[in-house]
Amino acid sequence: MIPKSTKTRNARNTRKTTLFGVFRVFVCFVVLQSVGSAQIFTQRGFLEGSLVGYPQEAPNDPTQLVGDFLARDEVFVAATPWLRLAAGLDFRANSHDQVDDSWAVDFTDRTVRRPRLSIRRAAATLTRGPFTLDAGKQFIRWGRADIVTPTDRFAPRDFLNVFDNELLGVTGVRAAFDTGAGTLEAVATRFTPSRPPLVDQRWAVLPPGVPPPTAPLLRTYPDAPQVGVRFNHAGSGFDWSASYFDGNNYLPNIDAAGITFPPMKMIGGDAAMPTRWVTLKGEAAYFASSSPTTDEYVLYVIQIERQTGEWVLIGGYAGEVVTNQRSTAPVTFAPDRGLTRSIVGRVSYTVDVNQSFAFEAAVHQNGDGEYGKFEYSRAYGQHWRLTLSGVGMGGHGDDFIGQYHRNSHAVALVRYSF
Amino acid sequence: MSRQVGRIGQVGRVGRVALVAFVLVVPSRKIVAQDARQIVEEAQKRSDSQSQRYEGLLQVFDAKGKVSDKRWSFERIGSYGQSKAVLRFTAPAEVKGVALLIVNHPDRASDQWMWTPAIERDRRIALQDRSTRFFGTDFSFEDLEERDVNQYDYALAGDDTVDGAACWKVQSTPKQSKSSQYTKSIVWVRKDNFAFARIENYVKTDLVRRLAYSDIRNIQGIWTARQMEMTDLRRNSRTRLTLDKLAYNVGLKDEEFTLQAIRRP
Repeated sequence: MIPKSTKTRNARNTRKTTLFGVFRVFVCFVVLQSVGSAQIFTQRGFLEGSLVGYPQEAPNDPTQLVGDFLARDEVFVAATPWLRLAAGLDFRANSHDQVDDSWAVDFTDRTVRRPRLSIRRAAATLTRGPFTLDAGKQFIRWGRADIVTPTDRFAPRDFLNVFDNELLGVTGVRAAFDTGAGTLEAVATRFTPSRPPLVDQRWAVLPPGVPPPTAPLLRTYPDAPQVGVRFNHAGSGFDWSASYFDGNNYLPNIDAAGITFPPMKMIGGDAAMPTRWVTLKGEAAYFASSSPTTDEYVLYVIQIERQTGEWVLIGGYAGEVVTNQRSTAPVTFAPDRGLTRSIVGRVSYTVDVNQSFAFEAAVHQNGDGEYGKFEYSRAYGQHWRLTLSGVGMGGHGDDFIGQYHRNSHAVALVRYSF
Repeated sequence: MSRQVGRIGQVGRVGRVALVAFVLVVPSRKIVAQDARQIVEEAQKRSDSQSQRYEGLLQVFDAKGKVSDKRWSFERIGSYGQSKAVLRFTAPAEVKGVALLIVNHPDRASDQWMWTPAIERDRRIALQDRSTRFFGTDFSFEDLEERDVNQYDYALAGDDTVDGAACWKVQSTPKQSKSSQYTKSIVWVRKDNFAFARIENYVKTDLVRRLAYSDIRNIQGIWTARQMEMTDLRRNSRTRLTLDKLAYNVGLKDEEFTLQAIRRP
């Protein structure tokens, strides 16, 4: 719900200068590749073009056909037995103004629109015995559930398409110690927000009576580091983890004063227990906030997973218990909470080594919102993949899923991996 | 088999000296070899190594004969039921970086986790998933396990010849703690070098998968099949695994076989 023209007023938080960015790219790629020529060097990347068609116009967005292009290249170098370097660069283009015009290389992922050029990752990994230290821009995933992952607090996302979102990296330090019985990790990062939908596009649905903002809203980013610890046991029989987070929600509170990211403390855990017939998974977290206008609540997920032959079946329930209702914000964007109180499921079938089908669905327990997606994917040769999908959405306007009832769409995606 | 009843590792271990000794003590060997369990134990003993590394080419042939290639690198540390292995895809490009960590146990099924870089997450492969085909190949996750001789009961099922080599036929039945998709397996063990020549896997009375070993060479004293072909008789498809740059007793560290390590490309 943020105007695409919104610019942060906080200059410290927008490290986006062309020269600096080019320098980073130079370091990440030229140096790494030259180092890599004599060391263990791995590269992966792809070119991806997609076309999205919406049968219906949205009240704030008459566009029904959107083309998108993404080029990604990532390099990894094992410079020494104890030092590994990783770097990744994205280039994007879009027919519907979802990508910045600027050619400056972005590192922070704080732009309203997607950056045209961005550093996806740039990190060094040091290992010594049971110790691992990752420093730089990286991806940190917590949690074990597949539907909603409440404990995944270092995993902001790009929500320009709410139901086809993409993980964003975070910049910071992650230290892990392998105890033998599990891994203890401590994380400290700079704040990276999720990227909410553009206010003048169909994935931003303003409630009735709330006019679209006429001027850019002030964005205020927290200065304090985001910190967390997690113990993860992955051993014989079953896996579990316990985690604690102290920082800010990467999803915003929006009011007349602007866009803020409320303080958040989280304590949570997850478990996966394979049995002879199914795998049981659960994840839960309690969220508290020092902000007087932010709710306190519990999110939880219970799911059952079964793989039989070429079929993978996942079904479960995502729930929410609000322990302290305090929010008065007229506009919120909280897909994690919006997808709760839902029955969710996913079925996939692998036809052969090159082809697969998948169907996933989410239905709110009160029947006010439904989402279903069918996908067919096929690889051609060693490099090409075609993916066709159709997404149906329905429900009432006051439901998180139902509000997108005009956004049913079909996608054709072609990827060339190299 | 390839290190016990393992399917994708090496086959038996026989140093040159051991080979000579074997020939010299044929009479006593023959007596020992009449016992099915001892045949498999001997094969396991001869395939013993502290570690192993190879690069594998997987060629999947569907029922119409169409071929799809995948490549992986494989590293293993430890031996027999207590080993750990990491299998990492290197091609095609879209699966590059996908990694599987296998932690074998002497008394039960292995623990397995898969790392998928596209979503930056690892996932435990549950026991009931083990019969699933591994990445669309004809190998199941269970076929990637390396299991100890103690996990099976054995019975001699006669003699046979595979590719001109005389073999013992040994029937192995998983013990209850094993949790196998297979009801039983028939294993052909070559009499000349205790290398595995063929394995046929049954579900109840139906033959479902056949693994054929070929291009058996002595590498660093270990008789190793450099080509293995798994046929899924229900789908009428097959997958050929060819081992390249194979080496034993390479310098590997235990910390390279953890969930932390498989995250690193």
